[in-house]
Amino acid sequence: MHLTLVGLSHKTAPVEIREKLTFPAHRQEEALSLLSATPDVAEAVILSTCNRTEIYAVTAMDADGPGAIIDFLADYHDLDRHDLVRYLYFSEGEAVVKHLFRVVASLDSMVLGEAQILGQVKEAYEAAFSNDAAGRIFNKLFRQSFELGKRVRTETDIGENAVSISYAAVELARRVFDTLDGRTVLILGAGKMSELTAKHLVSNGVKKVLVANRTYERAEELACKFCGTAIRYDEMFDRMGEADIVISSTAATHYVIDKEQVSRAMRGRRGNPLFLIDIAVPRDIDPAVNELADVFLYDIDDLSGVVESNLEERMREARKAEVIIAEEMAAFEQWLESMEVVPTVAAIRAKAEQIRCAEMEKALKRLGGLSEKELKTVEALTASIVNKMLHGPTARLKGVAAEKDGYSYVEAARFLYGLDSNPDGENPHAGLIKTLLGRAEKAAERAAGKAANKEMGDTIGC
Amino acid sequence: MEQIALVSFWFAMSLYMVATVLYAYHLVAKRAVFSWYATFATGAGFLAHTAAIGFHWAASGEVPLAGAFNSLSLAAWVLVLIYFVVEHLVRLKLYGIVLVPLAFVAMAIAQISLRTAAGVELPDEALAQLDSWRVAMHVAFIMAANAGFAVGAVASALYLLLGSQLKRHKTSAFVRRLPSLTQTQDLARRAIMLAFPVYTAGILLGIIRAIEFDLDYWWFDVRVMMSGVVWAIFGLYLLLHYRRGASGRALSWLALVGLVAVIVLAVFARTLPAGFHIFGL
Repeated sequence: MHLTLVGLSHKTAPVEIREKLTFPAHRQEEALSLLSATPDVAEAVILSTCNRTEIYAVTAMDADGPGAIIDFLADYHDLDRHDLVRYLYFSEGEAVVKHLFRVVASLDSMVLGEAQILGQVKEAYEAAFSNDAAGRIFNKLFRQSFELGKRVRTETDIGENAVSISYAAVELARRVFDTLDGRTVLILGAGKMSELTAKHLVSNGVKKVLVANRTYERAEELACKFCGTAIRYDEMFDRMGEADIVISSTAATHYVIDKEQVSRAMRGRRGNPLFLIDIAVPRDIDPAVNELADVFLYDIDDLSGVVESNLEERMREARKAEVIIAEEMAAFEQWLESMEVVPTVAAIRAKAEQIRCAEMEKALKRLGGLSEKELKTVEALTASIVNKMLHGPTARLKGVAAEKDGYSYVEAARFLYGLDSNPDGENPHAGLIKTLLGRAEKAAERAAGKAANKEMGDTIGC
Repeated sequence: MEQIALVSFWFAMSLYMVATVLYAYHLVAKRAVFSWYATFATGAGFLAHTAAIGFHWAASGEVPLAGAFNSLSLAAWVLVLIYFVVEHLVRLKLYGIVLVPLAFVAMAIAQISLRTAAGVELPDEALAQLDSWRVAMHVAFIMAANAGFAVGAVASALYLLLGSQLKRHKTSAFVRRLPSLTQTQDLARRAIMLAFPVYTAGILLGIIRAIEFDLDYWWFDVRVMMSGVVWAIFGLYLLLHYRRGASGRALSWLALVGLVAVIVLAVFARTLPAGFHIFGL
């Protein structure tokens, strides 16, 4: 068995290609059953989002896994295989685990640290699980990836800080007011940017929206979108006292709000803060307003600065996420290693029992005429010898299986007990970790002195 | 009994120290589970602390109010109690990072340098003056109010820190984990609003007791006068807020000035030999 991934994303394919290769939710069942019906594919999960389409599969050891998946993609979407290949990437073995973990941690996303991807991977796995396309390996791998996703969210700040101007404004407003529930926002000017910012604020709980514009009809139009109130432009300073947040985005070529006007509006607010967002260029609000107590003014450059520093912060947090990924990869490998030991121990015991029974039969023929009590004693004696002989090795085998390179002990045990059915002494079951994670190939490549070439051209004949 | 009180005290102090480390780790590593461990350690420490005070009371047969050691220990106890109230009411675990270490430091100072002062021999006259429920209430009220003022001042300091970062359009990772500006403002106002009447009641009880004993120039005492200053500062705070609608920044600075006055009163004024507050309270 082998882990295989074939996919394309915003990094490798333009939107006109990505849109052709989507698997909408209502077609996942059909796609999964077709993919599972492929003889080379044992398990499969199809992840399809607006930025990526990826097929994760457990494929047969001797099969061309990527080739089989590419064939499926080309056939299913009725595309030319050779055209399609230009936009695809593929991985095998350990790289698949790492890629999935990076995707779930949103390190591979267009917006680093975005939160939706975890839910999208969950949906993809659930679709595969409910269609019997996910088996033992993927059940463990994907569930572990969800744990990883949660860990990355809780142990790092990767998704904490806004990376868009309008959301940065919302985040700053939250830093001032905690919750925006029941707050009032005053919008000056009915530009697109102020509309977008107001939309974010309203979706985060802002209750009352006041809109002032030189053209009253345009103010009414915008107010209508937020179930707000349009006010006359000359009333805006009288109404500013009611507002908690002011968004200004007029087309004026000079300051429309100065320090004195804000100072007047602050009277009677009992120290309640006022948050002003000036997203107009040229600016609408005199920067001196920021000198007033309890007044916090952010212009477009300040917001951009916040976004930039947030992006840098996310990059720093991404490094912490990589450490978590390494830990989770080690945990997954440990699970694979420990999984191998169970059938090995069972096979050793079965073989020993087979030998014991055969030898008992021979001995009983020679001895003949034993009483029932003697028979039971001989039976117990042989069983006890076998158990005592096997107890130590099997217990130690289980113990070392979870350790690094534990699989080599399991392989050695299988070799020493002669459990492998083929004449070369090769175990068809052992080496699960090597095959799934592609270590056998890597070792062979290293031995041959070749650089590991994971380009897909050779594999699929492009 | 006194031995049990001593062991409980050390146990409480150790638990507060563990809680401080856990809160700090929670802040750095952002692991929610550590804030639960920290709260658990604080809760266990608080129970041990309560037991220590109770056993000490039972062993000595007197309300443990006399002496600098008892005062500081009681202040730490009230501080932790207030922390739990804050955490319950405003769901701000972050205050644990500030208040629990304060309680720990208060206990450590009490244990290291002041425990010996607990056994100050008081003249009979002074003991007679102390022997009243009014004195017990006077001390308890002042302690509780001081803890409330401390909470208000800490919240005000956080308000100033947050406000200055927001003004400069820069926010550090630490500040991002602080509560919002309005949360700190609300907490400061509520803490001071609740503490002020308690402080007033505490002062009034002290005055009544002084008048009962017909003490001459009872007001001519450093600590009495300083408590008047503290009362005036926090009274001004409430007046400026409710009557004048003063800015959050001005009120925060005033709360910090008030805390300095409380510290001067509680730490430095007690060391002066002058006045009638000779009980080492």
